[in-house]
Amino acid sequence: MSTTNESGPKPPPKNPGFVTCTIDGKEVVAKPGTNMIEAANKVGSDIPFYCYHPRLTIAANCRMCLVEASNSPKLVPACQTPLVEGAAITTTSPKVKAGQRSTLEFLLLNHPVDCSICDQSGECKLQDYYLRYDWKPSRLDGPKVLKDKRKILGPTVVLDQERCILCTRCVRFMNEVPKEPQLGVFGRGSDERIDSFSEGGLTSNYSGNTVDICPVGALLNRDFRFKARAWFLSAAPSICTGCSRGCNVSADFFKQDTYRYRPRENEAVNKSWMCDQGRLSYKYLNRDRVTSARVGLGQAQAARAPDAAVQDVTREEAVKTAASVLKAAVESGGLAMIASPVASNEDLLGSLLFAKEALGITQVFVSGRPDGEADRYLMTADKNPNRKGLELIAAALGLILQPLSKLASEIDGGKVTTVYAVGGELSDPSFTASAGKLKKLVVQAFNHTGLAPFAHVLLPASTHVEDEGSFVNLDGLVQRFRRAYPANGDSQPHWHWASDLFRAFGHNAHFSSSRHLFHQLRDRVPAFAQFDWDKQAPFPRAPGSGVGIENPPAAADGRPPGYREFGLARVRGI
Amino acid sequence: MENAPDIEGELEAHLQSKNLVINMGPSHPAMHGTVRMKIELEGETIVRADPEIGFLHRGFQKSCENVTWAQCLPYTDRLNYVSALMNNFGYLSAVEALIGLEIPERAKFIRVIGSELHRMNDHLTCVGAVGLELGGFSAFLYAIEARELITDRVNELTGARLTTSFGRVGGLNRDLPPGWIDKVLKTLDKVAELRAEVEGLLTRNRIFVDRMRGTGLITTPDALDYGFTGPCLRACGVNYDIRKQHPYWVYDQLDFEVPVGQNGDNFDRYLVRVEELKQCDRIIRQAIAKLPAGPVIIDDWRIALPPKQDVYNTIEGVMSHFKLIMEGVQVPAGEVYHCTEAANGELGWYLVSSGAGHPYKVHVRAPGFPILAGVPRMIEGKMLADLVPTFDTINMIGGEVEQ
Amino acid sequence: MSKVALDTLSVKLSQPFVERYFDRSGAEWGVVHPNALVEVVSALKHDPGLDFKLFGSMDAVDRLMLPEPHPRFEVVYLIRSIPLNDVIRLKVRVAELQGEVPELPSITPVYQGANWWERFIWDFYGIRFRGHPDLRRILMYEEFKGHPLRKDYPLRGRQGLLPERPIKDIYRGPGTSSVV
Repeated sequence: MSTTNESGPKPPPKNPGFVTCTIDGKEVVAKPGTNMIEAANKVGSDIPFYCYHPRLTIAANCRMCLVEASNSPKLVPACQTPLVEGAAITTTSPKVKAGQRSTLEFLLLNHPVDCSICDQSGECKLQDYYLRYDWKPSRLDGPKVLKDKRKILGPTVVLDQERCILCTRCVRFMNEVPKEPQLGVFGRGSDERIDSFSEGGLTSNYSGNTVDICPVGALLNRDFRFKARAWFLSAAPSICTGCSRGCNVSADFFKQDTYRYRPRENEAVNKSWMCDQGRLSYKYLNRDRVTSARVGLGQAQAARAPDAAVQDVTREEAVKTAASVLKAAVESGGLAMIASPVASNEDLLGSLLFAKEALGITQVFVSGRPDGEADRYLMTADKNPNRKGLELIAAALGLILQPLSKLASEIDGGKVTTVYAVGGELSDPSFTASAGKLKKLVVQAFNHTGLAPFAHVLLPASTHVEDEGSFVNLDGLVQRFRRAYPANGDSQPHWHWASDLFRAFGHNAHFSSSRHLFHQLRDRVPAFAQFDWDKQAPFPRAPGSGVGIENPPAAADGRPPGYREFGLARVRGI
Repeated sequence: MENAPDIEGELEAHLQSKNLVINMGPSHPAMHGTVRMKIELEGETIVRADPEIGFLHRGFQKSCENVTWAQCLPYTDRLNYVSALMNNFGYLSAVEALIGLEIPERAKFIRVIGSELHRMNDHLTCVGAVGLELGGFSAFLYAIEARELITDRVNELTGARLTTSFGRVGGLNRDLPPGWIDKVLKTLDKVAELRAEVEGLLTRNRIFVDRMRGTGLITTPDALDYGFTGPCLRACGVNYDIRKQHPYWVYDQLDFEVPVGQNGDNFDRYLVRVEELKQCDRIIRQAIAKLPAGPVIIDDWRIALPPKQDVYNTIEGVMSHFKLIMEGVQVPAGEVYHCTEAANGELGWYLVSSGAGHPYKVHVRAPGFPILAGVPRMIEGKMLADLVPTFDTINMIGGEVEQ
Repeated sequence: MSKVALDTLSVKLSQPFVERYFDRSGAEWGVVHPNALVEVVSALKHDPGLDFKLFGSMDAVDRLMLPEPHPRFEVVYLIRSIPLNDVIRLKVRVAELQGEVPELPSITPVYQGANWWERFIWDFYGIRFRGHPDLRRILMYEEFKGHPLRKDYPLRGRQGLLPERPIKDIYRGPGTSSVV
């Protein structure tokens, strides 16, 4: 057919401005330059690939995406070949299948028998494609090539060179996205391997992404390695709380522990990436958590009053004590409030409403995590995920935000004797000196850090993975996160404590859920009026659509849903 | 009161009578431990009966929907725990029908042998238990001795006495153990002797026949309407057996007869089962004679687990093993209804797959379910004592009825 | 298989089928319109040329997690004809409208065998059968909340034990509100 075209002038394109061709018999109309894999995906033809990544340049070195095209005598790599007007592309012909099988056999030739000890097992593309496209026994008769099995590339990443299929996604990622070329391909032939240019030289703040895009188990996260098996983890759509960027992540959890963050695609915020510091910021969700309410002087002040009774109490008793402390302060004066921009919008709204209406507070002191370093890509200096949200809500409620240093001087001056703190984070470590001088300190905290050790009444707060809610990132984008598992111990969300305290104060205000609160929020905060809480939830994909994650349904008996079987929500193995 | 009946004499006090409601089971030996019968009696006549089931409900379907196709297999053991092999093979055949899979010839023959052994097991239990519950303990002992021999053979074949979990999608997980065939043939001889003893004790026993004949009667239209299958339907004179009507595995290569009764009463059901015991014997001997050599499971690593040698030593083997164990056989999306003839009738499976490694829906048509539904029809208006043999001869198995 | 019966029904009852298709084993299914259901099964049973007298079984499928989740439920009917040596595979689709219990006509008046299966479907899927003589739960207890085989019922959705109550009525007994 092409011979006729060569002799005469080319016929005009069927759809001017577009390329029209057929993939597996189905007509595809695409813009010139559209990737063949993407085009095929649109008409329901799955082309397997390892080295192709939609956000990286094309390498076409894995040979997994070879397809048959009518304008080529040989198989062509789908990721690299431009769509040609009138071409007929076949992705399932016997020739293509033989090609896929040969490619897989070749890739597996030197692959170690590692599935049982490999972290990638269960989410490995080699496993998936082998059973889909090859499923034949090994024909290898001889030893496999041995390489370095645990090459420490940097603080975050360890490489198993034997498992590597040399797709060079990691090399291209480091060159193109953070633009820190720290990885390269070394050697020739069967000695070819990925390595860093200097020993332990993969120091980029974005090196963790190479682990995510590695289609096999070669690059592994040193933090996650050997911690959990992928098929036991469930994934909840969440937001990274490491800084104010608000990168979309999947919080992978099992039972009531978060095991890792993985970036979740969001074109507007983080594309497909996230930074290593954010990736490790999940740890406070598990470690050193306040799990029961406590009344009495904290550890930090035990020396001051060694015989003071410190005891764990029920939520009800704690609320009663906290309410009496706060009531006394309202009557005698000298009450101040600290709010942390780590809390979600719903938490802040509930707490600030309580502070305004029950405590008569007019100014709020802002604490939170201290600023850190920023980089020129995603990470920001502000390490609090919701400072913007706090500002918006305070403005809408008519509350004035004040820096923490002002509170320190007021405490030192004796003007403030009692503090109600929503969030135990401390932006300034030197504040502890002032905190020690307080007569009464009520703290709602995640962890036994910051203000918590100084608390007279310590209320356990649940983190963002334990409740639904939303954050506002530094660009003013409101983003929802979903609950992964029920709250640890006796902890409950800040808004729930606020609701309990409200009632202990004799008000009949009642918040039943984060959703309920957000709807109140929407009426009060103009910036949230456009945000539809229900629609903006990172909803799970449609069942069976192939990629992404599905939110597990909440178990009726309150048990955490803790089993993800390859996309489909399951509850098992708890 | 001018119309008061004459039988009440002037001097006799008026006897207030009302129907007595009794609660039979679930902890009653004749209710097989799982069924509660609420019976309203007028004298000794049953006016109304309402079987209440569910005491053995284990959420079979829900469990199956949440495990892989292969992991459902142990759940099917627990359906009819007297003939677990037939449930195993019936379920596997349905999955294979859904995939569109043909299993090796040797596996088909072994499935027939296993099924028929367990059919004997089931019928021996039923026949023995009828004798026991009507007071003839010796017959029960003979039947149980025979059943024990079969259980031993099943134990040697599968490694378990009751919960066999034998077979895999695509064939069987292991071949016959060495020397097993000879043992089975000797077992069949012994079982035939014991069966003759049971028959001798029961079939012409006046007390037994009196309690069985004409009791638990059901008419053919009613039996069809309720969905009776298996021996209970054949006792009504309907010649219907899936092994003959829709031959599966290799039943079309084997010569056997389907015994059919006439009256649809307890005695005919008993006779049909006894006769089927003899036919099972024939089938097993023929199947053993014709048993071909060859593999017992298909050679496709997408469906059958690779040999252990390959799993431990090659990446291909370990990946296939991993995917099959963790994700299960990828059964194509679709649905199928497939049935086999189990000991008590049609064991049907309606399977729906969404294309994943685990079932979307596993409907089991347990043969006992419709039969138990028909029990009130069989005993209402009859004597209370007839309930016991009726309940026995229908051979209701709690595990499959209550899922 | 079933083609003859489905063809006969199509002719006789002026298109009672919404759809006819073949499943993976090559058997043909007829999707019956809910309104035509009783008519179809009556014809199946009483038409001398069909003679589908042996009631097989019924069950339902909750299509919530399938690629096509609407309408939500499918009720499956399997009925046998001994003279034709055939199984007819019928299904009826029923939607769950907001706040309403999905409902279908009962075929118990036609086949007594459907009685317990319809109770089963009511018990596990919450589909009500209009005209059923005695629509109670069958395997679960009366106090059970929800319908466990629905896909949105959690696997571990266990419900607490019921407190023991004095038995007032032996016939009714504890755990059931039934009167035969």
